[in-house]
Amino acid sequence: MQIEKFYYDNKIVKYFAYATIFWGLIGMLVGLLAALQLVWPSLSFDFAMTTFGRIRPVHTNAVIFAFVGNGIFMGVYYSLQRLSKARMYSDLLSYIHFWGWQFIIVLAAITLLLGYTTSKEYAELEWPIDILITIIWVVFGWNMFGTIIKRRTGHIYVAIWFYIATFVTVAVLHIVNSFEVPVSFWKSYSLYAGVQDALVQWWYGHNAVAFFLTTPYLGLMYYFLPKAANRPIYSYKLSIIHFWALIFIYIWAGPHHLLYTALPDWIQALGVTFSVMLIAPSWGGMLNGLLTLRGAWDKVREEPVLKFLVVAVTAYGLSTFEGPMMSLKSVNALTHFTDWTIAHVHIGALGWNGFLTFGILYWLIPKMFNIKLHSKKLANVHFWLGTLGILVYAIPLYWGAVTQTLMWKEFTPEGFLKYPNFLETVTQIIPMYHARIFGGVLYLVGVVLMIYNIAKTVKVGNFVADEATEAAAREVVSPKRMKGEGWHRWLERKPIQFMLLSMVAILIGGIIEIVPTYLIKSNIPTIASVKPYTPLELQGRDIYIREGCYTCHSQMIRPFRSETERYGEYSKAGEFVYDHPFLWGSKRTGPDLAREGVQTERNYKPDSWHYNHMLKPQSVSPNSIMPAYPWLIKNKLDISRTKKKIEVMQYLGVPYPEGYGDIANEDLKKQAEKIAANLKAGGIETTSDKEIIALIAYLQRLGTDIYNK
Amino acid sequence: MKDEKDINIEKDELTGDELIKGHDYDGIKELNNSLPKWWLWLFYITIIFAVVYLIRYEVMKTGDSQEEEYAKEMAIANMKLKSKRSSSLDETNVTRLTDKKSLEEGKKIYDKLCLVCHLSKGEGLVGPNLTDEYWIHGGSIGDIFKIIKVGNPSKGMISWKDQLTPKKIQQVSSFIMSLQGTNPPNAKAKEGKLYKPEN
Ligand code: HEC
Ligand code: HEC
Repeated sequence: MQIEKFYYDNKIVKYFAYATIFWGLIGMLVGLLAALQLVWPSLSFDFAMTTFGRIRPVHTNAVIFAFVGNGIFMGVYYSLQRLSKARMYSDLLSYIHFWGWQFIIVLAAITLLLGYTTSKEYAELEWPIDILITIIWVVFGWNMFGTIIKRRTGHIYVAIWFYIATFVTVAVLHIVNSFEVPVSFWKSYSLYAGVQDALVQWWYGHNAVAFFLTTPYLGLMYYFLPKAANRPIYSYKLSIIHFWALIFIYIWAGPHHLLYTALPDWIQALGVTFSVMLIAPSWGGMLNGLLTLRGAWDKVREEPVLKFLVVAVTAYGLSTFEGPMMSLKSVNALTHFTDWTIAHVHIGALGWNGFLTFGILYWLIPKMFNIKLHSKKLANVHFWLGTLGILVYAIPLYWGAVTQTLMWKEFTPEGFLKYPNFLETVTQIIPMYHARIFGGVLYLVGVVLMIYNIAKTVKVGNFVADEATEAAAREVVSPKRMKGEGWHRWLERKPIQFMLLSMVAILIGGIIEIVPTYLIKSNIPTIASVKPYTPLELQGRDIYIREGCYTCHSQMIRPFRSETERYGEYSKAGEFVYDHPFLWGSKRTGPDLAREGVQTERNYKPDSWHYNHMLKPQSVSPNSIMPAYPWLIKNKLDISRTKKKIEVMQYLGVPYPEGYGDIANEDLKKQAEKIAANLKAGGIETTSDKEIIALIAYLQRLGTDIYNK
Repeated sequence: MKDEKDINIEKDELTGDELIKGHDYDGIKELNNSLPKWWLWLFYITIIFAVVYLIRYEVMKTGDSQEEEYAKEMAIANMKLKSKRSSSLDETNVTRLTDKKSLEEGKKIYDKLCLVCHLSKGEGLVGPNLTDEYWIHGGSIGDIFKIIKVGNPSKGMISWKDQLTPKKIQQVSSFIMSLQGTNPPNAKAKEGKLYKPEN
């Protein structure tokens, strides 16, 4: 057999490693700012780009796609080359991938701060960036498959199975969820409306967690954990079963983000049951990780790398048990819309993704720089700070969530809400928000120590950009199954078939859940009195989207007495048929706004109240943590695109009269005049051409249609 | 025989488990362990749960849908509350309270629910000034009780009857009456008609 000499590309791994560290730091700092703003709203600085509604998407996107994203690529580029005994397929593709991805991140940060957003969580980026992401993702896949195809090894290892599943699924999710019709270069409307949009979005959102934060990291675990511990994988059989079960079942679980909403019952039921069935497949990964360490636990005690990996895998086990529990409707009724969800995702993000990344970095950097880590002791300090940070972050938030949800649901013996003023339930848990900040700071200090440690290591190290190695060329074997070869073993040497099969596995759930909402009319009963938004309201809605109001406000009243008492009639699927995109929200930092405009319901406020509230919330709601929006009062509403907006909506099937786009601005102005007159009667002098007017029009429309029977 | 087989099987030194032949990926080997029993059982149980759940709620429909759950919850609440909420106290027979304790209770309610629109001293902002002798809806205890109870939503004053018991409305009305003539600074201009108490 011929032995071939070749070189691993370590430089690209180094690039991705540095990007991981850099964006990790940025993402966490932005998160810290958001946490601070929830205690001191004045830290929004009365400045549009730094308000919570714009900062939060920057934080989530930076952590998911910039920190974890670069972390994935770092680990994949390192491990894939070694598992394939081959250099990456093309250096050019590697570097297009690297710089393309960084460019996307920078664009994302800028546009999100400017308020260019689709409002769909973790898919906020506007259509030009969506296209860029698709291109760069294909570059990544091309490079990866190229490498796999020219591998010198016979079979592909379980880590690569996970990489392949990640690649295909993320591609499918991203494309399906990003169908939108452009209004302009930085504005588009989702192809889907209301219930459908919500379903597609959370099918995507949930599986972004599954196939961006979970499966690629499981792949990394399967490589770096046995390498660092120098132990064999506990069970190959378990790898097979849990891999296929995981990717097949995961894709169905999205609707658990929409329990008790207007989503049809049967889809909710699928979300519940498939989430529960996910426990074992997820734990399969945890078990295979932890049991691989059998016989090496004494090493774990000494080696910070292994400590990080063990806590990461444990955090994974915790959150994959907690997730299915939160998917039970009775539990979800309590936890949804509260900080419980926030605590849950941070066990995942800080514990699983963060710690796995740190473990890999501490192992990888010294390896590539041919030197020992600068200080093991410092790494240990990082480990303890990080662990403590996670606990101090999550425990108070769990506590606060339980406190708040019980307050929302408590009735007096006379049958009135015990805490009718929503704000009371917020101020009650502010101390927990303080604690969360402290937890975040501890974690961040740990990261800073790591950066120092790595910088010191790198400085004296001796980097090998192209690592020389050799391996035998791949044996040529029959493409058919050989005698005694199991079918899975056969599949492991057929990467393309492997990819196709995983694609089939993930498409089944998606198709069964989503397609029927198109085909079966009865899934979304229509309501005759529900009408399209007026042009002014539509403009106001776009401001609501731009400012990220949905990051704090839900628009979805669930059928509970505690919610219909507080907010009014529960939300119906038919009310959202013209909502491109849907704006149900996922967190109630402020009260639900679904019936804000209904005069006979208890949350109704006159126009002048909204004006004062938006100008300075604390002037009408003392101790409110809502940020001020003074620029809405000053800015003139841009009505140059009203026509185009109406036309796009018509294209999407919203029944405006033909040619309405041409006269839309006339109606817009008339309605604006009325609101300005109302404000004047309330003692407020303003002109009718301001953004605030449109926003008020939208707020006053909310939830009113079904009352106009 | 047995020995021969054992020689063929490679074992992990630390645990004695069987290594799978030919599985070596960049030095990573794999053991031939079978699936942990309890794990498999966990998987089976969750699958059984799922099947039973889907059949119960979506096929047989013997479990309540969320609308049915809601209807039941409301029916129970209405039954329980009918007796508690029915009170003979209304705008026709309400009397002004002047004892310190009732006024303090009234102030508490006011600070929590009303201050946002009428401001802390009753000087008025979105809502009218409550300290002068001019009233849109009349200034007797019955008038005040009534506007708080039914509200005037189109003008921005909601109905409070679903949040306050008649007793509490009486307390806050009495508190508002106690603000008469306090002349707070920055009070809103008069609205409505001059009200002169009879007698
Ligand atoms: C940081 C979270 C946060 C953001 C962002 C936010 N709000 Fe709020 N909002 C709150 C809180 C908390 C309250 C309750 C206290 C109060 O009335 O200010 C509230 C109250 C409201 C109310 C009154 C609801 C009621 O029925 O009492 C409206 C209306 C409202 N917000 C609209 C908006 C709009 C419009 C935006 C975006 C321009 C927005 N909010 C952004 C937190 C937020
Ligand atoms: C959202 C703002 C708002 C809140 C909160 C509010 N009010 Fe009002 N209130 C108004 C407005 C506006 C009016 C004037 C209604 C009209 O013009 O008919 C009013 C009118 C009144 C009046 C009649 C005044 C008159 O001149 O006849 C009384 C009494 C009153 N409110 C008491 C209360 C009490 C008690 C509470 C708390 C339980 C309360 N209000 C909470 C806005 C509010």
